Parts: sequence; structure tokens; C-alpha cells
Amino acid sequence: MEEHKYEVTYIIRPDLNDADKKKLVDRFDKILTDNGAKLIDSKDWQKRRFAYEIGNYNEGIYHVINMTTDQKAALDEFDRLAKYDDNILRHMIVRR
Amino acid sequence: MQRRGRRRKVDYIAANHIDYIDYKDVKLLSRFVSERGKILPRRVTGTSAKNQRKLTLAIKRSRIMGLMPFVTED
Repeated sequence: MEEHKYEVTYIIRPDLNDADKKKLVDRFDKILTDNGAKLIDSKDWQKRRFAYEIGNYNEGIYHVINMTTDQKAALDEFDRLAKYDDNILRHMIVRR
Repeated sequence: MQRRGRRRKVDYIAANHIDYIDYKDVKLLSRFVSERGKILPRRVTGTSAKNQRKLTLAIKRSRIMGLMPFVTED
């Protein structure tokens, strides 16, 4: 696979405490780097109200990661784990 | 050609040299949806076919991520 730039965004549950949130962000950063992704930056975008209710929540914290990778495994593994992590309400991987 | 009495519509995306339409840019995208949240047709906004395709994709992504509504009821 060729190397491309990707933007990974995920929505964190708003009622998660700071310590657990940091743990979560670190864990998912590590999942990406362990699978051969090079992170450019990884930071919270903002806490936003949703346009519609998602999983009984009306707002969430948006976290954005910019990275480059040539490994499909990094994207697949992130997708797989983000899907069944209860603290992540939704995620999206976009090629830039 | 100039239409009688009405100004020719400009492609906002091209005019502002936006080459990547970010789905997180709700302020930009909201110019291209109706009050009900529906995507406006090209003939209303004056967007080029190429940019309309990018715009549609961005709006749909934005909806999935809960940034824009699928439907707005009054």
C-alpha cells in the first residue's frame, strides 16, 4: 500500500473523567503507532453538541488525529477496536 | 451569458480557492443546505459539478459524525 495522509476523528463520551480519557487517547494513539502509522498530531478538536442524539448523548468530545501510513493494518486495527470501545461513540477515517 | 435581470451565480468553493472541503467545517457546509437540512441543488447554489460532488460527500460525512442533521423538523 502506498503511503497516504489520513485524518482519524472519533467522538469520546462526554461524561468520561479526565484520567480515563487520557488513557483512552493514549491507547488509541499507541494502536496506530504500533501498526506502522506516523502521527503528525493528535488533539481534541472541541466539545460539541450533536445535531441529533447519538447513543443517548447530546454532546461529545471530538478528537482528531492527523497521520501518515502505508500500512492498511493500522487503519483496520483502529477501526476494529474503536467499534467495540464503549467510550467511543463514533469514529471516521478519511484520506486527505 | 448574462441572464436578464438576475446576476450570474458564482461557485463559492472555486471563488474562495477551497481545494479540500473539510466535513468538520459546518459553517461552510451549512451554506449549501436548506433550512430542513437537505442538500441544495447546483442550480440554486451555482456550484460546479466537480465541487458539488465533493460538497455532497463532505455533507454526508458530516451527518454521520453528528455535526449536521439528517432531517430537521419544525
